[in-house]
Amino acid sequence: MAGLEVEDGEALSDPETGTHGAPPVPGGGSPPPARGGGLPPGWPAAIGLLATVVGSAGFVVAFVTNAGTAWLGGSLAVALLGLGAALAYWGRDLAGDEVISGPYPVPHDDAPGAAELGGDLEQSLGVITRRGALAKFLVFGAVVFALSQAVILGALGPWPGRSLFVTAWRPGRRLVTIDGEPVTRDVLARGGTLVAFPEGYTDAADSQIALFHFFGGEFKPQPGRETWSPEGFVAYSRICTHVGCAVSQYLDEAKVLACPCHQSTFDLLDGARPVSGPAGRSLPQLPLAIDSEGYLVAQSDFTEPVGPGFWDAG
Amino acid sequence: MSDRRLMRSLRTAFGVRRSPLRHGASWLDENLGGGSKLLRDELRHIFPDSWAFFLGEIALYCFILLVVTGIYLALFFHASQAMVVYHGSYQPLVGVPMSDAYSSVLDLSLDVRAGLLARQVHHWAALVFVGALMIHLLRMLFTGAYRRPRRLNWVVGLSLLFLVGFNGLMGYSLPDDLLSGTGLRIAYSITESIPFLGPTMASLMFGGQFPTSGIIARIYPVHIFLLPAGIAGLLGLHMGMLWLQRHTEFPGPGRDDRTVVGTPMVPAYALRTTGYLMLVAGVLTAFGGLLQINPVWLYGPYTPWDSTTSAQPDWYMGWLEGAVRMMPAWDIQIGSFLLPAVFWPAVVLPGLIFTPLFLWPWLDGMALRDHGFYNVLTLPSERPGRAAIGAGFVTFLSVLLVAGGDDVFASAFGLSLPVLLRTLQVLFFVAPPLVALFTYLVFRRRSQRWLATGR
Repeated sequence: MAGLEVEDGEALSDPETGTHGAPPVPGGGSPPPARGGGLPPGWPAAIGLLATVVGSAGFVVAFVTNAGTAWLGGSLAVALLGLGAALAYWGRDLAGDEVISGPYPVPHDDAPGAAELGGDLEQSLGVITRRGALAKFLVFGAVVFALSQAVILGALGPWPGRSLFVTAWRPGRRLVTIDGEPVTRDVLARGGTLVAFPEGYTDAADSQIALFHFFGGEFKPQPGRETWSPEGFVAYSRICTHVGCAVSQYLDEAKVLACPCHQSTFDLLDGARPVSGPAGRSLPQLPLAIDSEGYLVAQSDFTEPVGPGFWDAG
Repeated sequence: MSDRRLMRSLRTAFGVRRSPLRHGASWLDENLGGGSKLLRDELRHIFPDSWAFFLGEIALYCFILLVVTGIYLALFFHASQAMVVYHGSYQPLVGVPMSDAYSSVLDLSLDVRAGLLARQVHHWAALVFVGALMIHLLRMLFTGAYRRPRRLNWVVGLSLLFLVGFNGLMGYSLPDDLLSGTGLRIAYSITESIPFLGPTMASLMFGGQFPTSGIIARIYPVHIFLLPAGIAGLLGLHMGMLWLQRHTEFPGPGRDDRTVVGTPMVPAYALRTTGYLMLVAGVLTAFGGLLQINPVWLYGPYTPWDSTTSAQPDWYMGWLEGAVRMMPAWDIQIGSFLLPAVFWPAVVLPGLIFTPLFLWPWLDGMALRDHGFYNVLTLPSERPGRAAIGAGFVTFLSVLLVAGGDDVFASAFGLSLPVLLRTLQVLFFVAPPLVALFTYLVFRRRSQRWLATGR
């Protein structure tokens, strides 16, 4: 590689191959003879550098006086833009007219007899490639070693096991609000909704539910779920079955729950079936009961995995 | 004292009237030995000049700015999800329990001097970085710059785009505000959707079932060390190859595949490009100072039971968001197994986009039966096919990008969301080939006219 660079470099720095293209632009290149009253050459660069000095001073003042972000950014921008404009002008208008040419590096197969990387390597690595079986074993050993290191991945986290199939809901566990207040049949008037968690698990993200209290006759239970909604109380998992955002928007008129992330909507009166948007499965329903003291409790855990789909959730 | 004496004796030894420049250079000469000859030769390294070559420079300078601002931010950021109660200067959140990470981002934004400037410049630089890389890539695509001997460098550049976009996503996730946590939740669910391996992969990546308490601490070294090191390495490789091979050039007098024409590195190119570095830094600093971006204090801390409307990822993830929104709800049940619909737009589609892109130089060579070495670029009218595919690709991404903000567009223009979505679903299939065909015809006509009249 170094040889290549030297070779090209020599060719490039050879004055014979350098041709001077475009004629000097008036006003650029070598400074024109001073004209009476005109601005000196390079004045735009001087203005830029002046802006740099002013902007730098402004930034220091702004920083020391703890001025706002706009002052800090504005002064720093002036300094940087001034310096940038000065340098770019210098490079383009004071020195940019020198055009030279040189050869591109030539690929080996275009230049017969030129040294080829493969040939050199073959010669240098002959000590390995001559011993065919041993060389293959070397490759095999290296691959086995590399693959063996994959076990380290196992340290990164637990195997999911059954964790995606269970939540913190258990038979008889009470519903509480996010502040830990137990939910009784009197807490939520008909037509209302609240967010609930299992008692003692208000930080369990996968267990959050949206609780609704429907008017009599409004809600028709799904077949097989006739006992899950005592006195019109219905609870659905609040995690979207699409990609897991909290399904947080209740559209009272339409009786749908909507996910703000990708606009999936779920029909609450029809088992939280998805009616529009990219979600493909219903929100799981939590079987509810009301205990003898009037507290809302779960009959059991969800009967299907909550949240977005995965391979063995079917 | 001794320094001054040393300088004096050095000056006596080397002759008194040497300029400081000369002085420094001879010091290098002595201490690099023969190495300085390499430097000397490279002073005249030839750089062809075109506005189009500025795109890659913008990207490089964004990276430099990201490193500088990122170091400042790292001095104040706490990568911890330990719960704290906020007591900073932002009144609406005082007394609210939140993660240490989010609290530290509020502090560095609102109570650390120039902290918000650094954060906003960092964010703007990231947005412009990906944009510059994408336009740079399109320029390559339209002008055939990826042909031999630059096929490998195309792959390196595309890998850079991939890493930069991914690291942008990581950075978006670190503040632990409501939007960043929602983004992580979606990333977890997308990983989960991969057949068979998904749940295990998601659990290993996040350290358990979402939400995990260590994810910020895990993303942090990835965002500030692992990926930046990879990006810096690939940038070095990219520019090293560029240096060895010289830049491509647009067709022009005296230019051919064996002759490179341009300005020498010193002085013209070096001055110009250092100036461009300062200009890019200046513009991004002006953005960061004057244009608010990602005001995380307005979003509140992430909790798994909150979500917000009009939530948008950074623009370069918009195409993926759009694909996820456009995909119909086709969860597929296979016996006792489930293939979630989101697998197709979020896992398969990026693969379908990136795989042909990575293979593009070879596909192009096979299609044209041309594997020659080229240093002179082609113009779209010379190769209408390339322009057509490029234009179709841009159209395809644009439809996805619009779909990513479908709720915003629907409410802004008073459209019905389902109608807009259905329109976009149709455009997804129809628009790219139509635009490609149109582009092909336009450029073919132009090339025919050029052949006939020379104009």
